[in-house]
Amino acid sequence: MGSVSILLLMFCGFAFAALAIGLGNKLSLKRYNPEKGEAYECGMETQGTTWVQFHVGYYLFALVFLLFDVEIAFLYPWAVVFKEIGMVAFIEIVFFVLVLFLGLLYAHKKKALSWM
Amino acid sequence: MINESIIIMRFEWLISLMIVVLFILNLMGVDKKPERFMNIVNVMLIINFVAGFIPIKDGYLFQGFYHTTALIVLEKNILNLGLLLIAFSAKQWIIESKRPAEFFMLMFSSVLGMYVMLSSGHILVLYLGLELSSLPLAALAAFNTDSRKSSEAGVKYILSSAFSTGITLFGISLLYGAVGNLGFDAIIQHIHEDALTLTAFVFILAGFSFKMSIVPFHMWTADVFEGAPTPVTNYLAVVSKGSVIFIFITVLYTVFGKLENAWLLAISVLSVMSMTVGNIFALRQQNLKRFLAFSSIAQVGFVLVGIAGASNMGTDSVVYFLVIYLLSNIALFSIVEAISDETGKVTISDYKGLYKSNPFYAIIFTVALFSLAGVPPTAGFFGKLFLLTSGMGSGMYVLLGFATINLVLSLYTYLRVVKAMFIDKEEERMPIIKKSLLTNFVLAVCLIGIIVLGFAGVFYQYIDSISSQL
Amino acid sequence: MSASTIIFYIVSALVLVFGAMSVFTRKIFRAAIYLLFSLIGIAGIYILMNMDFIAALQVLIYVGGIIVLIIFSIFLTHQAGDKLPKPLFKRIVAGASMAAFGLIVVLGVFYKTAFKVTTEAGIDHSARSIGRQMLDYHHHGYVYPFEIVSFLLLAALVGCIVIAVKIQKK
Repeated sequence: MGSVSILLLMFCGFAFAALAIGLGNKLSLKRYNPEKGEAYECGMETQGTTWVQFHVGYYLFALVFLLFDVEIAFLYPWAVVFKEIGMVAFIEIVFFVLVLFLGLLYAHKKKALSWM
Repeated sequence: MINESIIIMRFEWLISLMIVVLFILNLMGVDKKPERFMNIVNVMLIINFVAGFIPIKDGYLFQGFYHTTALIVLEKNILNLGLLLIAFSAKQWIIESKRPAEFFMLMFSSVLGMYVMLSSGHILVLYLGLELSSLPLAALAAFNTDSRKSSEAGVKYILSSAFSTGITLFGISLLYGAVGNLGFDAIIQHIHEDALTLTAFVFILAGFSFKMSIVPFHMWTADVFEGAPTPVTNYLAVVSKGSVIFIFITVLYTVFGKLENAWLLAISVLSVMSMTVGNIFALRQQNLKRFLAFSSIAQVGFVLVGIAGASNMGTDSVVYFLVIYLLSNIALFSIVEAISDETGKVTISDYKGLYKSNPFYAIIFTVALFSLAGVPPTAGFFGKLFLLTSGMGSGMYVLLGFATINLVLSLYTYLRVVKAMFIDKEEERMPIIKKSLLTNFVLAVCLIGIIVLGFAGVFYQYIDSISSQL
Repeated sequence: MSASTIIFYIVSALVLVFGAMSVFTRKIFRAAIYLLFSLIGIAGIYILMNMDFIAALQVLIYVGGIIVLIIFSIFLTHQAGDKLPKPLFKRIVAGASMAAFGLIVVLGVFYKTAFKVTTEAGIDHSARSIGRQMLDYHHHGYVYPFEIVSFLLLAALVGCIVIAVKIQKK
């Protein structure tokens, strides 16, 4: 039963989106005006392409983020069973987090997290 | 429970502790004075090495995820020896690199991965150890951020390593499908020869071959060896490769022991290809680091001959040979490093007339090359002899024939360098290299080891006695 | 055919189509976005297998982390918006034949193998059970790899800082 309703939901979702886009496309008036192609509201004219090259520093942020993202993945099951297992679990997680905390301190010292 | 684990897992605890200490030293700013920092690290390395010899009892921990035997302890000690000698011989370079703490953090993490890998009793742990041992090496290969070649080496290493990991993981998932469990004991019980298991084995073998740089999975070796800083190349060629070979034997003999008929042929073919391609390509190299890369490919091919013996003697001869291989290669790379640090010269033609300018280095270089080639008075001869004898055990005479041809071919390859050093006229005189005490100590240890190990039957008997207990 | 089988086929088709699109598109940024949808589809398959926690991790780590990382690294290059050059014909042939070969081998092996249908109850995939296996020292061993992972992450952090952060010159 559950599967059928999911299937129904999937179908309705697709149909709803397709209907909205398709009908909107069919019913709307299409009038071209150069003003419509402008950047929103006010400000300078844009120059060059929108594809700009990022500084490598951003990449470090992304990497550090990913590492702690993975850490969260391990913290969640720990939090679920923490009460059940007790002290041992506490020691284990302290060990785990301390090692990563060292890494964070190191990154901080190397100024990997400061704006460049 | 905790006490017991600390005693049995001493190697892992010690190295983890050392990593943490390195971080604390770095945060305290001790590494701003590299000389002093290096002394502290060297003391740590010596403690790590000496502590390895304290007897340890065999044991299982974590429901079989971790196990240790006398053979594994010996293998870890061999890796420790390699780490110690490489760190000693690289002291000058590390000080000049300005980032000694990072260098050792990465190095120790990699060694921790190797320990984990060697002691693993579960494929999950094996995989984790393999990753932990190779990931820091990519950063180490790119350690010299000013050099494009070094960055290229790092990228090549991480890409080929990621690719091989992917292949291994696919093989592991197929194995899980075939067996239903990933613990070594369970696999040994339930594995049997069918199409799925064989496919899984082929993928896992390919992944391991990448890490050991066996032909046809060797493409990355020469470029990475050339581009990476010499101490890192040394580490890649000796410690990293050695550790993967150690665990490969275990996996092959125990986990895939029942597939012996299938892997014997595969190993033989890989062995013949590695030896031949390694030797022939080594002939064409001018850069010594590339030369040593192809030489190491050929040597791994030889190790496979021993592994193809598929008996206790296979393990003995491979472990014995790897010790000699380790000492010989560390001697070679230490000299290449000392000379290239001082003069920037790394090609074979630069080494012409080395005997006249630096006789000490030239002689040790020659002895180490002879040892790799397997010329009688050196231990390399006995190493190769045992490998061939072990290979004889499974009666693959074609393989042995190829091995013998390659033995002769490799002699020619190595003698080419010896000839350059002793006979050829130099074009430009090499300056006398100023001798650093630690490098000389390393070279002396290697020289003594290369000569003494060949005659010390005790060592081989010791390996035999502990490997036959398994 | 039950409804869950139909859902499985729809989701797998999405995964495969987006996977193929990410390989064949010649704009690298689009490839990353198609990969994103493919990975979301895989999370859907996990949910179909009742592995809620794994599905959540798939979204958290792959969709939320790795794709972001890939997009960042695309923006590090200066030709993020350009079209890649058309591949050479002989490379298309070589690549296609390799892929076909791999597919045939693996499918052949799968069809040949008689997979045993287990009679045991399914493994408990809940976060509680995973946590118990990960942390309970006495009955399960996963605490060992769990602690090693922290060192793996630490080494990765140090490694990326070593490569990316310039040495500060005095």
